[in-house]
Amino acid sequence: MRMWTRRVWAQAILSTLLLLGGAQAQRVTLEFWHSMGGVLGEATEKLVQDFNKSQDRIQVKSQYVGSYDDGINKLLAVLRAGRGYPHVIQVYDIGARIMADSGAIVPLEDLARKSGFDLGRFLPQPRSYYTVEGKLYGLPFNSSNPILYLNMAAFQEGGIPFKPTWSLKDLEEAARKLTKKDAQGRTVRYGLSIPIDSWFVEQISYNSGEYFCNNENGRKAKATAVAFDNPAAAAFLDMYARLVREGVAANTGRNWADSQSLFAQGQAAIAAYSTASLTGVLRQVGNRFPLRTAFYPFLRERNGVAIGGAALYVLKGFPEEQVQAAWEFVRFLLEPETQARWHLATGYFPVVRGVTELPQVRQAHVKQPNYTTAIQQLATSKVNASSAGCLMGAFPEIRQYVQTAWEETLKGKPALEALREAKARADQALERYNRGVAQP
Amino acid sequence: MGRRRRLWPTYLLAGGYALLLLLPFLTLLSASLRPEADLYAPGLLPPRPSLEAYQEALTRFPLGRFLLNSLLVSSLITLGVLTTSLLAAYALARLRFLGREALFGLAVALLLVPGEVTFLPLYLLVDRLGWLDSYLALTVPFLANPLGVFLLRQFLRTIPEDYFDAARIDGANHWQMLRHVALPLSAPALGALAALTFIGAWNMYLWPLVVTKSREMQTAQIAVNFILNEEVARWNVVAAAAILVLLPSLLAFLLAQRAFVRGIAMGGLKG
Amino acid sequence: MDATLSRAQRLRKHLRGQGEALVFLLPAYALFLLFLVLPLLEALWLSLHQEDLFGRGRVWTGLANYQKALSRPEFWKSAWLTLKFALITAPLELLLGFLAALLVYRPYPGVALFRTLFFLTTAIPTAVAAVAWGWFLHPVGGLANRLLASLGLPPQPWLTSPELALPTLAVITAWAGVGFTAVLLTAGLQNIPAEILEAAEVDGAGPWTRFWRITLPLLSPTLFLVGLLVVLKSLTAFGQIHLLTRGGPAESSMVWIYRVYQDAFFNFRVPLAAAEALLLFLVLLLMAALQFRLLGRRVHYG
Repeated sequence: MRMWTRRVWAQAILSTLLLLGGAQAQRVTLEFWHSMGGVLGEATEKLVQDFNKSQDRIQVKSQYVGSYDDGINKLLAVLRAGRGYPHVIQVYDIGARIMADSGAIVPLEDLARKSGFDLGRFLPQPRSYYTVEGKLYGLPFNSSNPILYLNMAAFQEGGIPFKPTWSLKDLEEAARKLTKKDAQGRTVRYGLSIPIDSWFVEQISYNSGEYFCNNENGRKAKATAVAFDNPAAAAFLDMYARLVREGVAANTGRNWADSQSLFAQGQAAIAAYSTASLTGVLRQVGNRFPLRTAFYPFLRERNGVAIGGAALYVLKGFPEEQVQAAWEFVRFLLEPETQARWHLATGYFPVVRGVTELPQVRQAHVKQPNYTTAIQQLATSKVNASSAGCLMGAFPEIRQYVQTAWEETLKGKPALEALREAKARADQALERYNRGVAQP
Repeated sequence: MGRRRRLWPTYLLAGGYALLLLLPFLTLLSASLRPEADLYAPGLLPPRPSLEAYQEALTRFPLGRFLLNSLLVSSLITLGVLTTSLLAAYALARLRFLGREALFGLAVALLLVPGEVTFLPLYLLVDRLGWLDSYLALTVPFLANPLGVFLLRQFLRTIPEDYFDAARIDGANHWQMLRHVALPLSAPALGALAALTFIGAWNMYLWPLVVTKSREMQTAQIAVNFILNEEVARWNVVAAAAILVLLPSLLAFLLAQRAFVRGIAMGGLKG
Repeated sequence: MDATLSRAQRLRKHLRGQGEALVFLLPAYALFLLFLVLPLLEALWLSLHQEDLFGRGRVWTGLANYQKALSRPEFWKSAWLTLKFALITAPLELLLGFLAALLVYRPYPGVALFRTLFFLTTAIPTAVAAVAWGWFLHPVGGLANRLLASLGLPPQPWLTSPELALPTLAVITAWAGVGFTAVLLTAGLQNIPAEILEAAEVDGAGPWTRFWRITLPLLSPTLFLVGLLVVLKSLTAFGQIHLLTRGGPAESSMVWIYRVYQDAFFNFRVPLAAAEALLLFLVLLLMAALQFRLLGRRVHYG
């Protein structure tokens, strides 16, 4: 309610200003769909308000359209209907290929070139992730990567020193040592808790130098098959299943929030989430224990993780001045000052250069060094096709199969077998997607 | 006194059973009354009861507006269903015309169409009509309901012929018979249908989620979905929102329990 | 009276009757036509085509989607899960509702309160029921596992293990339906003539015998019908699955209706989903036809 009235006020003030301005250029109203709820939603609304206040020509109307899945469902429904779509929409990382194939968006690169925006200002990984067939399509608005969350009280108790980088083997050993069981052998504190999400399987592949789909993660040519039956993914799933059976790792299902409450209650010593979870987890943990974050694990040698999160896309089919206005909004979001505010409010890392050097960012990092982990991890990642992340169609469906494979391993199936079964279904889905998109 | 004593086992059994049935619901209530710090403290009673979660749920989402929308939409749908059903049911029960049985059969068959089958075509239709994100999309497709036609037709057939004959002798036409005979006599059935329809409309979940975009149009069930979807779900806020969404339908149930019970009994048992 | 005139009069009267009926029927049936029949036909039309995921390039493929649906192992797995779900939900819901009905069908001081409490679940929105159970079974804060722990039992992965998720969802569905079956069975029990039971009591039959020999047999047609209704309802249970497991883990709760949703809104295979949905509709129709036949017989003999 409060937010709502505030928006009404802002609008009233704006329109007054407009009247005073007299013969102004035509005012443009943009529709912006996003999927940021909770803390992240507040930060998003704040940025939109800042933009609306920063000038008096363009008015962005932002709309929370539910989860990422809800958002892309809505988009596909309006595309099918052929109208009613927004000017700008936020779509998650794995929708990159679908968005490029939809033919419904204006590539960001075209807009940038027209206005002389230097694409070199982007950090390499976010830029390469959303580059499809040599062209940057989306603005990597909220970029994250996976990190480990460590309960330092448990570490101290177990006599284990903090480490910034972890191999899977080290992680497994530490998890065992950190597990606490009662007299009946029931686990009181788990050593490890990772929600069942395909994203973590994708990232272990990238961070170990493997591909998740063929043709070098779909970067050299269109991906035609998945490659998640790789040694790193198999080792990761086998390890997790083993640890669950031993009562060392927790199985909280696919729901991130359940795993996070377990960790925040001190009932799991190590966890893996996104950097974007940091603000929320810190708030949940409160003063219960000191929290530190570390890089995501790898199988043998650390390669580098890909970015996650989501990108903003500008849609086609609007008059030129509206597209131009959408670009101005996007540009505003790329300003280092905006990026700094966004980063500090959410934990998503900046995607353009020159943000971490800003004094307010430095100060905040000294106060809460956990916010630097993701940035450090990104900066020290090798830049190659593996860490560019897999680009393929039908990714939302394929993620379901990977998660099913993970759950199969918990039932006792060897990971490689489960992954191969999932691969068979995923390849079919991908083949169907590619065939469907190739149609006129 | 003796009777009292004989009733004790019943009280004990019924009370225990009711408690067991309502347990999940009581834990939800308990969670909604806890501050975030106490959320995982054991016990059914909140150690430090607070309304913090309700406040949070009400400020984070314009829940008041959502509830108002739900109320408006459910009332409109109920009114519409009562009107359209009574008219059609009267014709099916009292008038003789060609294809009567076929039309009644159609209503029965349509009763069974799962919403998921027609979901996407219906969405596209509503979009073509330009109704997305408006009260029209939320109400118009549901203003007639096969269940309503079915229920009322069955009920009207149980009204003895004599009532209508008396009216006919007085020279009443069908409209007057509908107004002065069928309407007052089917008041209990209408009440039952109203209760069923209202709660059904109040509980709509997937449709409002898809056809609305702006907050000003969204309904209360969506708030539950949104709050649950947040990356760090705070269960006390989720619980508070759920309770707030539940209250009106609970209130409607308590106010119209008789009608409601009759509606279910009619829909279920009368062939 | 002239016979031909009378026939003409009758015809005119008949036609006027037709016109009048039309006016009465129009509002409801126009809405049905527009918002139920038309979308249904469009779904049918869609199910006979193939298109890309953005809904472009639609081509006629005849029954290919039905063929594909029926040849997918996933489809049969979903059909089996649906059956399993119904087989757990229906008896449990009947049992729970029957127990409630037995406790409240006779009047005694305070019965109104218990009726309200038992019938209450009919008014709980699906989303709220799902949230309540999600919290009740929560791995960290849930009361269910705490109760188990206090009995010295290990915590259970209610919604996160492939073995338990479907039965748990079935229990939740049965719980949400208790009010529904309780209402119906209370009405059924109240319809049993009291004289028969009194006569049996006079003849010296104990409560146990009366229950098994009189109440249950007399109630059995009602029980059967309510059972069918519950099965019908459980075949289209969606909200609780959507909110609690999304068809998982390991697709262990991917029932038919959820598969339809998943294929349409997640995998963007709209024509295939339409075919699957229409097949489900066919099954529901068959079940309803069965119900009507049995109902007809009951009315006949009853």
